[in-house]
Amino acid sequence: MLKRKRWIFAILAILPTLAIFAYVRLYPIVDTLRLSLFKWDILSKNKPFVGLANFRELMDDHLFLDALVNTTIIAFGVLVLTIPMALIIAALIFHRTRSRMAGFYETAIFIPHVVSLVPAAMAWKWIFDARLGPLNALLTFFGIPAQSWLFDPVLSVICIIVLCSWQALGYAVLIYIVGFKNLPVSLYEAAKLDGASGPQSFWYLSIPMLKPITLYVSVVTLVSGFNVYAQAFVLASDAQGAPGRQVRVLVLDMLENSFRNYRVGYAASEAVVLLVIVLALTLIQFSMLRERGKA
Amino acid sequence: MKNRSVKTRISTRALLMSAAFGAALLSGVSTASAETLTVWSGYPEMAPFYEHVAQGMKAAYPKLDVKVEAIALREHEKRVALGLTGGQDGTTVIELSGSTATRYLENDLLPEAPADISTFVKDPKNFDKFFSDTAGQGGKIYGVPLFRGQGALYYNTDMFKAAGLTTAPKTMEEYSTYAEKLTKRDASGKATVSGWSMRLSGGGQGIAEKFWINMHQYGGAILVPAGDGKWKPNFANEAGRKALKQYLTNIFTTKTVTPEMPADADAFERGQTAMFIRESWVIGDIAKKAPDLKYATAPLPKGSIALPTNLYVAGKGADAKVGWEFAKAANSPENLVWLLQNVGWLPNRSGVDYSAVTSKQPAFAAFVDYPKGYEFFTLPSIGPIEEILTRVAAQLVVAFGDASLAGDDAKIDAFLKKASDEVNTILAREGLAAK
Repeated sequence: MLKRKRWIFAILAILPTLAIFAYVRLYPIVDTLRLSLFKWDILSKNKPFVGLANFRELMDDHLFLDALVNTTIIAFGVLVLTIPMALIIAALIFHRTRSRMAGFYETAIFIPHVVSLVPAAMAWKWIFDARLGPLNALLTFFGIPAQSWLFDPVLSVICIIVLCSWQALGYAVLIYIVGFKNLPVSLYEAAKLDGASGPQSFWYLSIPMLKPITLYVSVVTLVSGFNVYAQAFVLASDAQGAPGRQVRVLVLDMLENSFRNYRVGYAASEAVVLLVIVLALTLIQFSMLRERGKA
Repeated sequence: MKNRSVKTRISTRALLMSAAFGAALLSGVSTASAETLTVWSGYPEMAPFYEHVAQGMKAAYPKLDVKVEAIALREHEKRVALGLTGGQDGTTVIELSGSTATRYLENDLLPEAPADISTFVKDPKNFDKFFSDTAGQGGKIYGVPLFRGQGALYYNTDMFKAAGLTTAPKTMEEYSTYAEKLTKRDASGKATVSGWSMRLSGGGQGIAEKFWINMHQYGGAILVPAGDGKWKPNFANEAGRKALKQYLTNIFTTKTVTPEMPADADAFERGQTAMFIRESWVIGDIAKKAPDLKYATAPLPKGSIALPTNLYVAGKGADAKVGWEFAKAANSPENLVWLLQNVGWLPNRSGVDYSAVTSKQPAFAAFVDYPKGYEFFTLPSIGPIEEILTRVAAQLVVAFGDASLAGDDAKIDAFLKKASDEVNTILAREGLAAK
């Protein structure tokens, strides 16, 4: 009887939180799925059901396909750049834990993650500036020709990858440091007795044992990479003229379709595609973790 | 005795709290009784003008509190879309171009103007039919015309003098030859000052609008009416080819401009470009930011865009009255002269003596004293106009970065055909395509 009462109390206690979660998290997802099946013009009173027509149109929409390709390249580019760098930096900071500068290292690497995105992107815009930027100044100092970082179709995507990686690095390093701190010291001592060098311990002990952390950080980085928007927007925005090439990414395309073209149903179908991608990546994470658990 | 003292203290405290609460309540009531009007603008430089209009209304509306919220145009358009569909609180005066307002009018999201305002706008003594038509639909008036975006050439007279040029270019061919002469280069031949600043990159529809202005000089248009409310693209042709070819020649062949060079009014004001095409607001901008700049303006070879912007009022019943009064006050001769003098946008109202401003600032001449037969065009008042321009702009950015297009007419034609087909697809989807 007491157990049942506890159950009821627990459910009642959790119900308000569940209700809020359902309203602010689940309802928008379900409604987005519904909207994607309608010709839902934000201004029009007539919003007819069109089935999968929005999705069919997406397949022929070169702007959407551009956005999908760019977003995928950026997300995986950030992943490839961030994870190895974060692992190495975290290892270096961890092995310097006793140093008086350890706190400084951790703070310095984490600051980009918490700094406001817009001013950070503005600073990077200056760094990448073709005429006045320090990056080109450095290149020309070494005899390398200056590049149109923000205008070249390939380089402008690389710029966004660099900016996103710079921001993602701090979080990844922090999680890795926590992972390092939880590794059993005895294993390293045993390896040392067996004659393993520092890099060998890192390669044969740290990396395999940090696999769950790597999986977690990878998926978080990849998912946030697919949601890239503000970085692309700020690097190409200005009050007048054009400071840079607009790299089309999925969220930007969705916003444009929603609020410039008023085609919310169409934008919702893009959101559904993004949702499917993110869900697939999350499922991959779960399946990989499960496989490791069984092993 | 002690109890009584405590009770007295408690009742005194209760009294004080009640008084404070009552005062707060009364002040709230008093605030509520004051009229609040919000003005939404898509041009930050217009904020001082609306504040000036609000100041002028103080005598008639001493309690009127006007909040001017002027933000960048694209963000403003998003705000209007969300604000009007989500239910707008209070009265808001909304600045919108006639072509953008069409969709809101089609869906009854903006109310009709009251009879007195309608009479004011329809009076040909106040506004030319072109302007009153863009402020209405189906014979009804929904907005009050205010100003227009009209293009002209701005050129740096010092740079022209140094290049041995004495007059503004009169043909599009001259624009290219002038650009070559005006471009300044470093020792390696790389352009450091562009001869002619063209809109080559960035986001949004501006690229397509600027392309349309240039193509208009060759007789082309992104869209032309095809009768019965239908439209068709008109740029996969010789005019489109000439316009695009001119861009490509300047970028890749003569290299008078590159996408990464500083562009637009900022570049002109800093002496980083010798000439560019823009609206009249640049005159006010130069006066503020580069008062010593020596420049002149000239009409374009054939004609220009004229994009009228109107004031609409979102609000219900009697509360909306003050909004319409504000829109009308903005059109008072004193305020319009102030607008031209301090901001630079061209007012649309006729019968106002602007000579006090235009005589002092010769740069306005190109906008008001244009040659006979000068042809204006405006953006079509159709729902998908922004989508069409944004998509054409996205295609043009790709073309401006493709050196293989330069000098290859067949490739240019194929590109224009592809862009034109995309426009037709959008028109067909919306039931607006000509058969």
